[in-house]
Amino acid sequence: MEFPKLFLVALALSGSALFGAADNSVVIRNVTIHPITAPDISNGSVLVIDGKIAEIGTRIGARSGARTVDGHGLQLYPGLINAATNVGLEEISSLRDSVDLDEIGMFNPELRAEIAWNPSSQHIEVTRASGITTVISLPGSGARSFRGGPGTVISGQGALMHLEGWTWEQAAVKPSAVMDMIFPQVETVPRRFAAFLAQPALSYQELQRQYRERLRQTGEFFEDARRYEKAKAASGPDFRRDVRLEAMTPVIQGKTPLLVQAEREQMIKEAVAFADKEKVKIIIADPREIGSTGALLKQHNIPVVLGKTFDLPMRDDDPYDAPYTLPGDFYKAGVKICFGTFDVEFARNVPFEAAQAVAFGLPREEALKGLTINSAEILGVSDQLGSIEKGKVADLILTDGDPMQAKTNIKQMFIAGREVSLESRHTREYEKWMKRP
Amino acid sequence: MRRLIPIACAIAMLAGLSGAETILIRNATVLTVTKGTVQNGSVLVENGKIAAIGKNVSAPADATIVDATGKYLMPGIIDCHSHTAIEGGVNEGTVSDSSMVNIKDVIDPEDINIYRGLAGGLTVSNVLHGSANAVGGQTIVIKLRWGKTAREMLFEGATPGIKFALGENPKRQGYPSQNFFSQGPAPERRFPGTRMGVEEVIRESFTDAKNYQAEWKQYHDAVARGEHPIPPRKDLRLEPLVEVLEGKRYVHAHCYRSDEILMLLRVADEMGFKIRTLQHVLEGYKVAREIAEHGTGASTFSDWWAYKIEAYDATPYNAAIMTRKGVVVSLNSDSDELQRHLNLEAAKVMRYGGLSETEALAMVTINPAKQLGIDNQVGSIEVGKSGDMVLFDKHPLDYYSKVQKVWIDGHDYFDRDKDLETRPEFQKKKKALEDKLKVAEDTGTRQGKRNASNAASTPMIEENQ
Amino acid sequence: MRSVYLMLPALLWASVALRAEVPSAIAIKDAHVVTVSGEDLPKATVILRDGLIQDVGANASIPPDAWVIDGAGLTVYPGFINALSTWGIPQPGPNRAVATAGNVPQQAAPATPAPNPAPRSHGPEDRPQTYSFERAADMVEPSDSRLEAVRAAGFTTSATFPNRGIVEGLGALIDLAGERGRDMVIAQPIGQQIEFRVGGGGMGRSFPSSLMGNIAYVRQLYLDLGQYKQAKETYVAHPNGNRRPEYDHDLEGLAESPRLLLPADECQQVDRILNFGRELKVPFVVYGLHEGYRRIDELKQANVPVLISLKWPERPKDADPNDIPNYRDLLMQEQAPAVPGMLAKAGVKFAFYSDGVDSAPDLKKALKKTVDAGLSRADAIRALTVNAAEIYGVGDRLGSIEKGKIANLVVTKGEAFDDKSTVEYVFVDGKEFQPSKEQQQPPQGGERRGTNPADEGDANGGVN
Repeated sequence: MEFPKLFLVALALSGSALFGAADNSVVIRNVTIHPITAPDISNGSVLVIDGKIAEIGTRIGARSGARTVDGHGLQLYPGLINAATNVGLEEISSLRDSVDLDEIGMFNPELRAEIAWNPSSQHIEVTRASGITTVISLPGSGARSFRGGPGTVISGQGALMHLEGWTWEQAAVKPSAVMDMIFPQVETVPRRFAAFLAQPALSYQELQRQYRERLRQTGEFFEDARRYEKAKAASGPDFRRDVRLEAMTPVIQGKTPLLVQAEREQMIKEAVAFADKEKVKIIIADPREIGSTGALLKQHNIPVVLGKTFDLPMRDDDPYDAPYTLPGDFYKAGVKICFGTFDVEFARNVPFEAAQAVAFGLPREEALKGLTINSAEILGVSDQLGSIEKGKVADLILTDGDPMQAKTNIKQMFIAGREVSLESRHTREYEKWMKRP
Repeated sequence: MRRLIPIACAIAMLAGLSGAETILIRNATVLTVTKGTVQNGSVLVENGKIAAIGKNVSAPADATIVDATGKYLMPGIIDCHSHTAIEGGVNEGTVSDSSMVNIKDVIDPEDINIYRGLAGGLTVSNVLHGSANAVGGQTIVIKLRWGKTAREMLFEGATPGIKFALGENPKRQGYPSQNFFSQGPAPERRFPGTRMGVEEVIRESFTDAKNYQAEWKQYHDAVARGEHPIPPRKDLRLEPLVEVLEGKRYVHAHCYRSDEILMLLRVADEMGFKIRTLQHVLEGYKVAREIAEHGTGASTFSDWWAYKIEAYDATPYNAAIMTRKGVVVSLNSDSDELQRHLNLEAAKVMRYGGLSETEALAMVTINPAKQLGIDNQVGSIEVGKSGDMVLFDKHPLDYYSKVQKVWIDGHDYFDRDKDLETRPEFQKKKKALEDKLKVAEDTGTRQGKRNASNAASTPMIEENQ
Repeated sequence: MRSVYLMLPALLWASVALRAEVPSAIAIKDAHVVTVSGEDLPKATVILRDGLIQDVGANASIPPDAWVIDGAGLTVYPGFINALSTWGIPQPGPNRAVATAGNVPQQAAPATPAPNPAPRSHGPEDRPQTYSFERAADMVEPSDSRLEAVRAAGFTTSATFPNRGIVEGLGALIDLAGERGRDMVIAQPIGQQIEFRVGGGGMGRSFPSSLMGNIAYVRQLYLDLGQYKQAKETYVAHPNGNRRPEYDHDLEGLAESPRLLLPADECQQVDRILNFGRELKVPFVVYGLHEGYRRIDELKQANVPVLISLKWPERPKDADPNDIPNYRDLLMQEQAPAVPGMLAKAGVKFAFYSDGVDSAPDLKKALKKTVDAGLSRADAIRALTVNAAEIYGVGDRLGSIEKGKIANLVVTKGEAFDDKSTVEYVFVDGKEFQPSKEQQQPPQGGERRGTNPADEGDANGGVN
């Protein structure tokens, strides 16, 4: 090639190098990679382009314009997932004005947690400082909350959110990931603080009656939703729309799973039977016992989002480690599990909830999967999240050890390929007040 | 020699019966907390006390040998803030000053949470009155001697305490507020309604106590002079406050905000008594210097926050900051659930503030022992201290660890293997009893049939059959 | 002399099985007599006159003016004593007064004053829930509707206590019949009852709401009592220069009581109450005791009499059938009825109390249950008679069939508590009653023999 042309080509190439960094690419080197769905890679590197994982391996070529992060021999894990929280919707639990949960009404499928997500909530930074990059935010505070009575059955749509973003729009990964439901139960297990709030003790017969009524109404509601779906599909533009029933359509069509909170064996069985009858997809949430439901859930391919492992046994005579062995029991029965905390303040501790299950019988790899790939699969986002694989969203954490151990430090975090600060209100207080003379 | 063996056995048996066993825990990693770690170490316990620690400890012939190879031994865990095992209400919230009530009267040794705490390595609890009152009830320290009576659980020699509470809880009844507590009928207002009122209650109570002290002194002086005065009324509310003034009763004060912490330290100085521990003390890190100067211990949560507005400035770095500034810090549970894994809570100070492993372990052993004034007996594995120890299958700060055995005074109160073994037998026993009672009930009564038909009447299942 | 001539309409004669005239002397001839204080007499005669036992024996001679009851096939026991109840104090509610001999039924006028809601107490100094000065003796009326029913179970006497508050008042030992309230009183005051009132969470309530609050309160009361006594003594000896102690009717009530009744059901409550009673330095009696089987030795050592509740723990009728009760609760259900037998073997003095069990069949069933669980019938009778009398310090005049004692008796056909046995006569202060058979049968539809599920929900309620 003639020299002038060579020069032009070189210029062009270098020009593209200068301007080619517009894809925000990052190369993370010198880490032990834990892909989750593949064997660990020592002395590995990961290339991130446009917020996605482009390459993983021991030899990744230099890429001009890419930012290089030296991992210093740290551990690289996928960002952890908490599959059940109220993060973004509740700031201080005892101050009602700061809480946006548990709307009035029995069936509220049209409510969307996504849009009530407060991007300035202090809980976002605090939670991600423990290595968590995405959470499900639910519009209901859960079956065991101290709030209110057994009113709500369907609280609304839970959203899968990144713990980062200037707005909820930016934070949303999957706005309507699950439909939050509390399965009707006979309310004999005393609610926390019930006696304290002097709620009247109802007779069992009365509780049974109330429960049957709620169940009947639930069945009716689903029936209405089915009819609506059918009618709408068959109608034209004149069709009179109903926001509530329309919100049920993805559920009826099996596209959005119901996240069904069912604490006791009896409720789990009933929820499964209900799902069968209504032909909807469900995930069992926050069970407190397995009883004989393991085989049933496996047979129906129904996964479980576990609540806190750190819990007290339900009954005095229960084995002291009943809540600790529960995750392992579900796993051994062949049920797919992932972890959630069903709260806000301790959402950051979900890796520890998983660790306690390991102490009492759950294999460590399964616990880790329960914080990553299993959660992604159960929530229908395994094409994007849950492991370090080419093509997936670059939600990554660098740690100096096992993220399920308290003594481990989370050093760096990337959400969708962008590095995010691990500072929070808590670290800022630390910095400031250590300096007080 | 031959004759001695049956005698020795008999003695051992008797000793075993009376609880004064000899135990050698062998070949563990011994985490003494105060005197370093002994690898492949052994600990000998005799008559309830630690007799020897080392790599080569020989045991008398009658000793029970516990092979702890590969395991970790640490001092029994101490919880400086507990409401476990209390019968009939944690709070006497009806009055502003409830110092006349005493937790010691209502310890419930049958509470299953004692056993569950043991199973997590807990050996000593500072059982407190709740936080509904600025000046609350008298408190007590217990050892979790599961299976014994309430009296037998009391920690002999531990100084009794009294609970104070500052901040939102004691003022909640003054102004029905917009939180979930205000459900139900509006209660009659009870003073105080503000933090200022809280200080007032404390000031007033101690002023009353001083007047009471003076009254009794006058009476005794008059008697000494040979007069015949009528004695003043003995007032159960003021007696413990006088004991505080005399240094015979510890004050454990629940508090959150830095302003109220400072207030309490100053009031105590003014009234002439000391605060023994600040409890929760989530903003303690802001006034760590003042706390250290007063000589008060701080017993806090590992990482609780945001459940109330006064907890909004809480940071899990609290323990580390206060420690660095010279305060003796412990981590507590305030919860039947949390008390089961205080070792794991302790581990968090390694992440939040970079404290060392020993500093972390100290948070739930020697530090609370110091705060409760019982560190001459418990809180570390040292010769002469009580045989209160926990055996873990992994390092206690490892989140994959679990408790294998727990000793208190050298007697084993928890053994995980035994617990697992006895489960099937217990279930059988219970089922047999259930069946027996059901038969008795069903015979001749309609209710039995009603129960049977109810049990089958769960609609969903029926439909699917 | 208690002969009273009554005028009763014929209707009442039919429905209220009372004798119209009270004979001055009665002889129960040739019956099986369980004297309790002495031997069992297989065939003996008991002579009653003027409300007292005039004679008893195989060869007791029957006075010519005596009304003779043929005792063949019958058993005579001392009348049963309920060791703690509100029997005799008409309870508030729908008209609970019934016509009895000698009084015109009062229209809905219960003797217990309708409880005024007590003003909210702000501490021990307000003496919350203290009714120590109330006297059962002032409150009993023969019009209490329960009396007839419980006589049908063989009860002639009750240690009756008022029932409100924590310090509930001075009890009286009463006959379960009489013309007027004051005729019923055998002895008073026999004690002061303490009941712990716990609950409500404390917010916005009256002191005390917690158990420790209750205990502190009673403790303070007794401290006050000690100081009161000392103050009075000092004042009497040295009135000059001293302010006089105020008259305190709460403390006067406490001071008057010869013993304290303290509650304890579960084993740790027994420990607590034994310590508490000793701390208060008063003679005391423990009532409840359902988990007593775990503390037999301690009770023996404490040397304190106990009253056992006849309301045996049962699985709540209203329970969720999917809920399994705790083992401890199950054990209590099984073992509680065996406690009296164990106490008898250990030599602990005990009596029974009704604890709200108010119908004849229920009382009989409850007593049978403990006999079936290992208490000998003889010990059961002792508990119902001489033990109760001795516990309340009237063992010298009541509780056994002996010459000179008060003529409170129960005459049964068949052995007491047996399913088929019936109470034929009851004598209260020598006055004869014939309890109706209906009162002794379980209510219609309650315990049918049929096991036909078709009976369930039978709207007719019973054709069997």
